[in-house]
Amino acid sequence: MSDRADNVVTAPAVADPDDPLALAEYAPGGAVALTDAERWPTLDTAGAERLRRVRHHPLAPAWVHQTGDRLSADAVHRVQQPLPLPGWLDEHLATARRLPAYRRQADRLRDLASWPTLTRDDLLDDISAFVPLDADLGRLIEGSSSGTTGRALQIPDDVEEVARTFHLLVRLVTEQGIDWQPDPDRMALAYVVHQRQAFTYTSSISSFGQATMARLNLHPSQWPHAGQRTGFLLAQQPQVITGNPTSLAELLQPELVAGLRPLALFSGAMALSLPLRRDLEQAYACPVIDVYGLHETRPIAASVDGGPFVILDRRLHVEVLDDAGTPVPAGERGEITVTAGENPLLPLVRYRTGDFGRLVHVAGRPALADLEGREATRFVAPAGTLVPCVDLTQHLQAGGARGWSVHQAADGAVAATVVGGDSGQIRAALEQLLSRPVAVTAVATLLELGEGKPRRYRSDAPGVL
Amino acid sequence: MADAKVPFWRRLAEAAGLTDGQLSSGIPMTPGAPPTPPSPSPASPPPSAAGPAPAAARPAPSPRAATSAAPPAQADDESLASGPGGEALLELWFARAEDDLVAWRQCLPGPSAAEIGTRLSLVPKTFLDDDVAVLRLAEHILEPEYGAAPDTSADRHAREILAVVDQARATGSSAARRAAALVLWLWASDDLHGPLSVPLRPVLRDRAMAAMAFRLAAVVDPAEWVSDAVHRDEAARTFLFWSGHLPAGEDEAAARSLLSMRDSLLQNAALAQTLADHEHRLEVTRRLQAARAREAAARYSHE
Repeated sequence: MSDRADNVVTAPAVADPDDPLALAEYAPGGAVALTDAERWPTLDTAGAERLRRVRHHPLAPAWVHQTGDRLSADAVHRVQQPLPLPGWLDEHLATARRLPAYRRQADRLRDLASWPTLTRDDLLDDISAFVPLDADLGRLIEGSSSGTTGRALQIPDDVEEVARTFHLLVRLVTEQGIDWQPDPDRMALAYVVHQRQAFTYTSSISSFGQATMARLNLHPSQWPHAGQRTGFLLAQQPQVITGNPTSLAELLQPELVAGLRPLALFSGAMALSLPLRRDLEQAYACPVIDVYGLHETRPIAASVDGGPFVILDRRLHVEVLDDAGTPVPAGERGEITVTAGENPLLPLVRYRTGDFGRLVHVAGRPALADLEGREATRFVAPAGTLVPCVDLTQHLQAGGARGWSVHQAADGAVAATVVGGDSGQIRAALEQLLSRPVAVTAVATLLELGEGKPRRYRSDAPGVL
Repeated sequence: MADAKVPFWRRLAEAAGLTDGQLSSGIPMTPGAPPTPPSPSPASPPPSAAGPAPAAARPAPSPRAATSAAPPAQADDESLASGPGGEALLELWFARAEDDLVAWRQCLPGPSAAEIGTRLSLVPKTFLDDDVAVLRLAEHILEPEYGAAPDTSADRHAREILAVVDQARATGSSAARRAAALVLWLWASDDLHGPLSVPLRPVLRDRAMAAMAFRLAAVVDPAEWVSDAVHRDEAARTFLFWSGHLPAGEDEAAARSLLSMRDSLLQNAALAQTLADHEHRLEVTRRLQAARAREAAARYSHE
């Protein structure tokens, strides 16, 4: 529907020559390749008009990206329903036995406990070995994950599974007794980030009444005009807002609290502290749902009250294992290991997440307690500016590092240990970001970052919590 | 370039028929022959490399170090008729991650399959001996073309070829060694039979060598490339394709169809799965790269 949805013409991807930290992929239009008809094959006139109004709102930010959900009419119906659960694990294991990764040992793989565990490094080594030979690669979209060690992993995502994730959010909201229906006068969902550079876009949700959504970067640098950010958000009045603790904290600005009326807030990616949860709940008088998941596995569990994360009722099987891969006794701490069957392009069996916790039960449902591994670390610049760790991640990856550990001492001094990459480039970027000298030490292997899961970021500087 | 081109038959006499083991124990060279190392390259895998190659095997580094002191390879003292199976050779080929879709796009018109087949049928018997000193043979054949200008593009190409030949030698596979010798014959036979109707592209020689020594030799004994008309055609077409050429008079569709029809790897049930895995890996990689360039899809929350 390109004629109706009004394609935005954007400049070619060129990093801002005046910004030493600019990355080309975040230049406006840097990854635009489709037409609107390909982005939203079912978009009707009314939906296109709603989208146009968001895109061209006078207070809209400069969109970095354009993207849609790519759902055909049939897919629009399919993604609204969760995948059926009866018998899924047996089917899943049968599929996995045929994967190139397991074929040579398939005869020995019976019930789940007989399967070896799998790590992120296995996927990094050869992701294709975990993609079924008969998978419909025509539905593949690419996602990347920085993950535990920070080395970016290209993940084959399924376009329908990604769209189905939206309806998981709808279901979680509904479980809180809230009726979330499309409202043509409101944006359905705002996915907010707060980082120096990020992909931003607006889209139509084909399977939700063609309501609009947007990925917004709340970082002040993205809103050059006074009142622009608040004005745009209030004009869109998003029904649900998703983000991470850093971006959700921005919603506590008084002018936003005064004007926004979300039905629910979702937090993800990093640990949501109880104080922040309480502040958000008080400010907006709505549920705050913390979702735990990895890109590789998709959402795993959710907490609506700051307590244990209840494992979602979907194609998931969660174990907590010790170092040797043996399940720990109920309630004991171990590594969270997930068998994940939602993404047909990446059927994972016993995937070690690198996160740790205890498997408990909440109201008869399995849940994860004392979850570790999602630190929301921020660093402080000499002027007191807080820099979220995701900004560092972008430049560590751009510098080619495969893994790292960055530590800010109580006196503010910052030291980084990196595996691989260009140490000089990394040091220059980090010093620019943090406005202070950064000592960068190169080591050869991830093991040299320390035993177990590398704590990529730690800040002992005052004022970062 | 050497001051005086060494006659092909002298190079052959010096190289063919001598085992690597004999060479490493110091067989005196024919007077006037270019100096050659007494032992294989240190880049060669250790003797255990005669077993199945690891999946992540990569072509050996540049054989420049062949002139330095190095422990002699012991794999060549074993029966050269033995060696790793076809799957191990295929792993070496797959480790190169050669993309046939890209390769077809690179093809330019070349000599006919029949012309290459004829050259194969004219190969001197010594080239097919189990104990042909294939690395020495390659050094002799390549030296006049590349040897005199170090660090040039031609010199680098020669070293890439020598690395593949050394890799073939180090596998301990008789088939891989004889395959490498046959490819060397195809390159060197102009001395005896005149130039091909279309000169072969020099820049893809290492790829062609690897394709013949690791891909085709994994499934068809090189002796059959000479003795059997069907396999001779298969060998000629395989050689031309990975050398970056379409057989004369054929467009890409015809060439692909005919090669596919002949391709023994495709018809080998035991190895077909390995090939399918390899092609799957390439396809997933291609799709991920294309999807990345093409645009993501809208997402709704942090994952």
